[in-house]
This record gives sequence, C-alpha cells and structure tokens, in this order.
Amino acid sequence: MPSLLPSLLSRVLPHPRPMRKLDERLGFASAGRAALAKVFPDHWSFMLGEIALYSFVFLVLSGIYLALFFEPSTAMVVYHGRYAPMRGEEVSAAYASAVRLSWDVRGGLLVRQAHHWAAHLFIASIVLHLCRIYLTGAFRRPRELNWTIGLTMLVLAIFNAFAGYSLPDDLLSGTGLRIFNAIALSIPIVGSWLAFLAFDGEFPGQEIIQRLYIAHVLLVPALLAVLISVHLAILIRQKHTHFPGPGRRDANVVGSRAWPAYGLRSLSLLAAVFAALLLAGGLLQINPVWAWGDFDPATVTAPSVADWYILWIEGALRLFPPVEFQVFGFEIPNQFWCGVVLPGLIFGALYLWPWLDRRWNDDREPHHLTGRPRESPLRVGLASAMLAFMAVLLVAGSQELIVQWTGWTVGSVRDVLRVLVFVLPLIAGFAGRWVAESLRRSDLDHAVELGHREMVAGLRRRNRPQAQ
Amino acid sequence: MSTPRPLGQRFAVLLAAAAVVGLAGVLTLTAGSGRATPGAVPAEPTPSVTAESTPAPGGSGNTGRQVFLRDCAWCHGSDGSGTHNGPSLVGVGEAAADFYLRTGRMPLASPEADVKGGKPAYSSSTINALVKYVGSLGAGPAVPALTRGDPAAGRTLFLENCAACHSASGTGTIVTGGQQAPDLWATADQQVAEAIRLGPGPMPPFGSGQLSDEDVSNIVSYVHQLGSPQRIGGAGLDQYGPIIEGAAALFLLLPLVVLISRALGKRAPSRKEKE
Amino acid sequence: MSAPAHAPRSVVLCFMLSALGAAGFAASYVIGLGNEALGVSIGAAFAFLALGLARWSSLISAAEPEYVEERSIGPTPQHEYDAFKQALIEQPVPRSWVLWGSLGTAVAAIGGAALFPLRSLLPAMGTDPDAVLSRTPWKAGLRLVNEEGLPIRPADLALGGVVTAFPEGLDPREHVDTTTLLIRVDPSILQLPAGRASWVVDGVVAYSKLCTHAGCPVGLYVDTADQLLCPCHHSVFDVATGANPIEGPAPHPLPQLPLGTDGDGYLVAEGDFSAPVGPSWGNH
Repeated sequence: MPSLLPSLLSRVLPHPRPMRKLDERLGFASAGRAALAKVFPDHWSFMLGEIALYSFVFLVLSGIYLALFFEPSTAMVVYHGRYAPMRGEEVSAAYASAVRLSWDVRGGLLVRQAHHWAAHLFIASIVLHLCRIYLTGAFRRPRELNWTIGLTMLVLAIFNAFAGYSLPDDLLSGTGLRIFNAIALSIPIVGSWLAFLAFDGEFPGQEIIQRLYIAHVLLVPALLAVLISVHLAILIRQKHTHFPGPGRRDANVVGSRAWPAYGLRSLSLLAAVFAALLLAGGLLQINPVWAWGDFDPATVTAPSVADWYILWIEGALRLFPPVEFQVFGFEIPNQFWCGVVLPGLIFGALYLWPWLDRRWNDDREPHHLTGRPRESPLRVGLASAMLAFMAVLLVAGSQELIVQWTGWTVGSVRDVLRVLVFVLPLIAGFAGRWVAESLRRSDLDHAVELGHREMVAGLRRRNRPQAQ
Repeated sequence: MSTPRPLGQRFAVLLAAAAVVGLAGVLTLTAGSGRATPGAVPAEPTPSVTAESTPAPGGSGNTGRQVFLRDCAWCHGSDGSGTHNGPSLVGVGEAAADFYLRTGRMPLASPEADVKGGKPAYSSSTINALVKYVGSLGAGPAVPALTRGDPAAGRTLFLENCAACHSASGTGTIVTGGQQAPDLWATADQQVAEAIRLGPGPMPPFGSGQLSDEDVSNIVSYVHQLGSPQRIGGAGLDQYGPIIEGAAALFLLLPLVVLISRALGKRAPSRKEKE
Repeated sequence: MSAPAHAPRSVVLCFMLSALGAAGFAASYVIGLGNEALGVSIGAAFAFLALGLARWSSLISAAEPEYVEERSIGPTPQHEYDAFKQALIEQPVPRSWVLWGSLGTAVAAIGGAALFPLRSLLPAMGTDPDAVLSRTPWKAGLRLVNEEGLPIRPADLALGGVVTAFPEGLDPREHVDTTTLLIRVDPSILQLPAGRASWVVDGVVAYSKLCTHAGCPVGLYVDTADQLLCPCHHSVFDVATGANPIEGPAPHPLPQLPLGTDGDGYLVAEGDFSAPVGPSWGNH
C-alpha cells in the first residue's frame, strides 16, 4: 500500500479522539472494521443503481428547498413579482408560488430545474438498472424479493414525478391531470367513484393539488426511503452478484473493499450526479411554467404531452382506434385499455418475471454469479422487443415533432406507427435473440465484431437457453 | 504495474468527452430543431406603430399597378376580381395585402403551391405601393393602428384564443392537413395584428365584435415579448415542451452520467484475460 | 510500492478548483448573475470534487489487489429453524388457533374500520357521480357569455371565427362541463343530424369544448377545413356534420348545444347538450 495514503487519510478523516469517545458509548469499532472491509465487485454496470440512489438524494434535498417556497393551494392570489406579463393577474397560489420560485427567488429557478432534471435521471437510471438486472439474470433466486421491491420503487417514482410536475397547476400539467381523471373514469363500475374520490368531485375540484402535494412530499418519499433501505439491506445481507472470472465462484464475492476504494468511487459518482444535475439545471431550461400559463380547464396549449415516462401511455392513447368494446353490457372507454390494462400487463409481466424465468429454464438454484446478456438469448430478445415497443409508443407521443420535421400529415404518421407498434417489436425481438445467440456461440467480445460465420451459427435454434 | 499516466490520460479523456458531448448537445438543442418555421421580417423595436404605409416616392400608384399586373394578375385577375387560380382581392383591404406580402406568403410560385411564410419577395417600398393599389380596388380593412398595449391583459387573451394552435410559448405546432401554425417569435407586431383580424389560411379570424382594437394591441404587446425574454433558465430547447426536454434527458443527460459510471467502475476481467 | 509524488497533486488541484467553483457560486448569488452562472459554478464545483475523488480512488485501486469474501448466505439448518418457529408462534400459547384466529379477526376488523374515514375524501353524502356526469347546468333561456363575462351576439363572430362560451352567472372553474365552443360557419355547408336545424343561429353552431376521448379542451379550429383538432391525442371533429369524429381515437361526436336568441339578440341556450359531455366513463 502506498505510504502516502495513510498520511493523507489520517489528515482527512476525523481526529481520533472524538471518534474514540463515540466508540466508548457505542462500541462500534469491530463491526465498523468488518463493514469497511466488505467486498463489492467492480463493474461499471453495477453503479447504475447508485445513479438512481444519488438522484433520489438530490431530489429530497432540492425538494426540501422548493417546499419552503411552494404553496400547495388553489386559492386565487394576485401575483406581484418580476415576471411582468403576470403582474396584477389573479392566479392560483400554487401557480403563483411556482412562478415566484422561478423569477423572484434567487437561485430558485436553478433548484426547480435541477429538481425536474433529477426526476428524469432518477427514472431513466432505474430503467437502465432494471435492464442490467434483467439481462444478466441477477433477479434469480435468492434476489426475487429485491426485484419486486425495485419494481415497486419504479412505479412509485413514476407516480411521484407525475404528481410533482402537476403541482405548479400550470396549463400543460393541468391538461395531463384531465387525462388522468379520464383514465380513472374509464374503469368499469367503480371508475366514476374513483375519479370523484381522487378529485373531491368533478374535475378539477379544489382539492387535487393539496392531495398530490401530500403524496409527493410525504407519502411517496417516505415509502421510497423505506423501500430503498430494505433494498440495500437485502443487498448487503446477500452480497452483490458478480460476473464469472478468475477466482470468482458462487460461494464468494471478489472485488474492492468498501473503504477506501469502493467508497471513494461511490462518493465520486454522487458528486458527479450532483454536478450533472446542477449543470443541466443551469444550462437547459425545463418546464417554463410561466410560459405555459396558469391552468384554466377551458383552455389548452399544444403540443399537449407528458414527460417521457408517462408519454408512452399517451402514445398508446393516440394510436388506439376509436372503438369502445362492449363487455358484459358495459361500454368500456378506450382509455381503459391504454391507461389501465396496458401498464397493468407490462408491470404484471415484470413482477412475475423471476417465476416465469424459473419455470422456462427449469432452474431453481440460487445464483450469485451472473451471466453476460448473451448467456440468455431469450431475455435479450424479450428486452429488445419491449424496448422497441416503448420506443414506438414514445414516437407516437412525439408526433407533433415528426410531422413538423417530415411534413407528413398526422393521419399518415399515425397509420405508420399503428403498423410499427406490432411489427417492430417482433423484428427487434428476433434480431436481438439472433445476435445474442451468435455472440454466445462465438468467442467474441463485442457484437460489432460478429461476422457471417457467427451469424449463421446463431440461427441454429435451441429449445431452451443454457442455464448458468 | 500501472502508472499514474494512463490514469491521468483516462481522466483527461473523460473530461474532454463530457465537455464535447455537453457542448454539442446544448448547441444542437439551442440551434432549433430544424422544423419548417417561417422566416418573417424581424420584429419592430417598439409596439407603437402608426397606421398607413408611407407612400412610395414618385408614381407609387403606377408602380403598384405595374407590379400587380406583372406578378399577381395571372391568378387574381387583371382587375383583381379573381380567376379560377386565385380569389378576388376586391374589398380585402390594405391589411390583407400588407400581411401576405410582408410575411412572404405572396406571391406564390404556382397556384398549387403551399401558402407559407418566408422572405418577402419585394422591397419595402414596392410592398407599400402594392398595398396601396390593392386597397384601392375596393373598400376594406386598413392596416391596423396599434397602440402601446398591456402585456398582462394580452397574456390572458393570448392563452384563451391563440395558445391552442400557436402553443402557449409561441413556438407553434401542427394543425390538420399537414399544415402548421407558425412560431411567433420573429413576427412583426403589424403582421400579428393583421393576422388576428384576417385569419389567414387555416387560422380563424377574430373580428372587432370579438376582440376590440385595444385587445389586439394587448395581444400584440404580449406576443412581442414571447421567445427569448421568456427564456431565463438556460437553453430554451425551442420552448417546445416535454418532447424535446425528454429527448435531452434520455439522449444527453443519461448518456453523460452513464459514461461517467463507465469511467469510474473498473472493468471485470473478461474471459480472454484469464491467466 | 509507493505512488509517485506528483500523483496526489492532481487530486489536491481538483479539490481546490472545486472550492473555487463554490466560491464562484456564492459570488454569482450575491451579484445576481442569473441562472446559467449559478448552475455552471456550483456544477463545476461538484464536477471537480467528483474528479478528485475518482482520481484518488483509482490511485488506491491501482495499488490494491482484489479482495475475496466468502458468502455465508443460505437457509438456516432445519433444527435451528424449528426452534425459531417454536419461539415465535408456539411459546405464547401452544397450538391454539382459536386464540390466534380471534386476534387476527380483531386486527382485521380494526383495519377495515379504519378505512371508513377515507369516505370523507369523496364529496358530501348523496352525490351520485354518474348523475353528476350525465348533466350540465345548461338549460333553456340561459345566456351565453364569453370568457370576460359579456353576452354574445351572432354578428360578433366573423365568418370562420370561434369563441369559447359559458353560461351567464356561473363560475366557469366550478362548472367545467359547461365549456362551449361557438363557431360561425357558412350555413349552407351544415349537414347536422335530424332535428337540429333550429339549433343553429345565423350559422353559429355550439359544441361542447371537452373532447369525448379524454376530456381535453378541443382548442384548435381549422377554418379552411371546418375541423376541430384536439391537441392531446389528435382527434379530429368535422364541424359541418355535428362534430363527428373523422380521425383519431375519440369515439363519439362532440355534444351539441341548441342555440336560440333572446329579446336583445344575444345568444341563449335552448336546453342541455345533446349527450353527456367529456370522456365516457365506466358506468355510462
């Protein structure tokens, strides 16, 4: 060990005497030493979950600052601030406080924008982390519980982000609440009751902003904090998975020690995430609520779309044909299929996946060695199909941009997408499985190196992919 | 054994990559999305604009008529009463002529061409002459007289009447039939007022029974400060909304942070590196 | 082995630059330099902190071997597990399901009772959502007013013009379902459903502004094509044929409001809309 580092460390770490006094009261030193020596495997893809964790930390810290200024009330107030076109106008207190945060509170706009970018990064990194867990088979026994917890956190994160951008009570997000209300209404039998429960009556009511506020700043963050703690506790108890390699077995874990190597790397990622979010908050304008205007249920702006993590539902709503099916005498509105059934099916399949995977592979053994994605061409194919499906739905949600770029009509773009939403996942799924199979049979490291011979070999069908 | 130099190089590369990615992204997003926005004449410096166009020097009526007969008559008729190629201009007034000529919507290259904004085809003095001539064809709305408006009142009217097609931020969006409502950031105040009254193309007209002249002045003064005065948080991303913001999150922010993770995490040895 | 002397200097330099960035942030705040300056300064501070920590960590990793730790996770041996189960369940009262069952009933009952106050989230007792959604406050004789509260004459609208209207005397924010679009078209193009010829005054037709798909205001009116476009999911309604949906996911036409005029020539409603407004719902 370099002789330099202990001296550097001893200069940085707390002076021994106060820590000794703490140890006299708590007796943590032995357990602490074991904790500092815990081994974490080294791979960049294992850090994706940490991006999500640190985004959450940023969300909580920036959210506390915003909550000091935000007023979650729909009572009308008169705005008197720096934003001239709104001066003297009567708007809701929630909207006025959001505009005040942006124009009148110094540093408020930076925190507001960084907070919104952090929500994007939080959900995007959870999805990437989910893909890594899925493709490497890290959800297998004994980690099914952590997979379930992680999926639940994804659902909570998406809901909280939706609630968060609806809080400023602006025209764009208010229209999104209208669609949320319509989806609730579309549930058979109980739909109208559910919608009236959430909104205290007809849309928009006076209560929704306050209710979303409590959900957004209290209920969901508390739930997330508990779930994150359980998620990490399980991870620490079971120890992280690792890839096959020299000296690596199911019964051990090989990598860096928690302190100092891994810990410093992780702190660096924390600082890097904060840096990226603050740079984005400073350099890229996001959700300029003063420009959208305050929410007026008789008015609308265009394009009227949601953030990307909700936009896939909007895309499905746009592509769905104008039919209402009759089921048991009830006419089911078509928002039900796109807004309730589709997310239900997708998340339901994801929740059940560890058990489906176990049955498909007939593999009930515990696994701590994960495989490269190519080890399971089926999973690669399914992941490719799902991502292609989501991509088409996101494009459907971005039709305005496509139409403005290409000059085609909305109808023709819609028709093309209606075909693509079925065809592209099939093509992507089979292509993904083919590439993975070819890689698996070859000795190559990267897909770009695949040649004709490997690709032909990959076409040979197998009934079941090899278990680890 | 590994020396610090490769490590130092790695970080230099990481820093450079991050800077390039970030800069490229920001520049791309701020340069506009390449949508077909009409390039209209630059905005006037103040919202108070007086009415009538100034007469062109010397023989304006003749110049206007000459240009009209040369460029406009083959669609609109030599007396302006219309042909099967183009509508009658009798009674459209100076306002219509001023709007269509100054925003470059007229003249059309052919009767089937799309009517959309662009660079004006004539100099300002020629336009003035043409406007006077078309106005003389029959009594019609004059070029609107604008007064200093109240942006706050204009904002309310804009959001109620205009935001649905032109977007609350004024960035413009699609309507049916492959047409677009253009962005309003570079449109001259005069042309905004004329468009409100005329309802060119797919746009509905707003007559004086619906919006008074004061209302129009208010809307114009609000439109005047759309665009960069609203952009206080950094690159505007065209003020387009969640579509471009989401693209920035997924294709700029996320890859940047993933690249950082890649540089931070040591790679697990691949099978080829087994001893 | 020891790391060369110059290596940690880069770490120290990074941390100093980070401190400089933080100072820049403080200065930007005090001077009031604006969002970009604030973001770049504090962002750079964190970026250099990250860089310094990363460099430091990689120096350590480069000099350290890989560590190995045994995994001891696995199911507990059966006899120990049985002892645990016995301690948890059987010690309090051995094998009495009556006792455990009655405890469970008590807890479940309390949990169920606790759900009842959630009913207060709903509007007052006696409100039937389906009844509320089926009607709007429009009735015969109620005048139409614009967003400023002023009544409307047919001639106020230019040909091809559109305006949003509400019933006189009601707060539009509390009665969103009353939002109406008035459009002035050339009467000769109208091909309304049977019995609605009298619902038009001087070419002015009135439709509900709430889309029958998901309830967004159908704000875009295309004058040349006489079409209404909803910006949320791009449903297109044909004004001439009773706001029939001709494209997009909306399944039903926009409900039409019958119009008349009162003694002063202002537009009034002659009844409620032709159908429930807004999106269809589960019980409809």
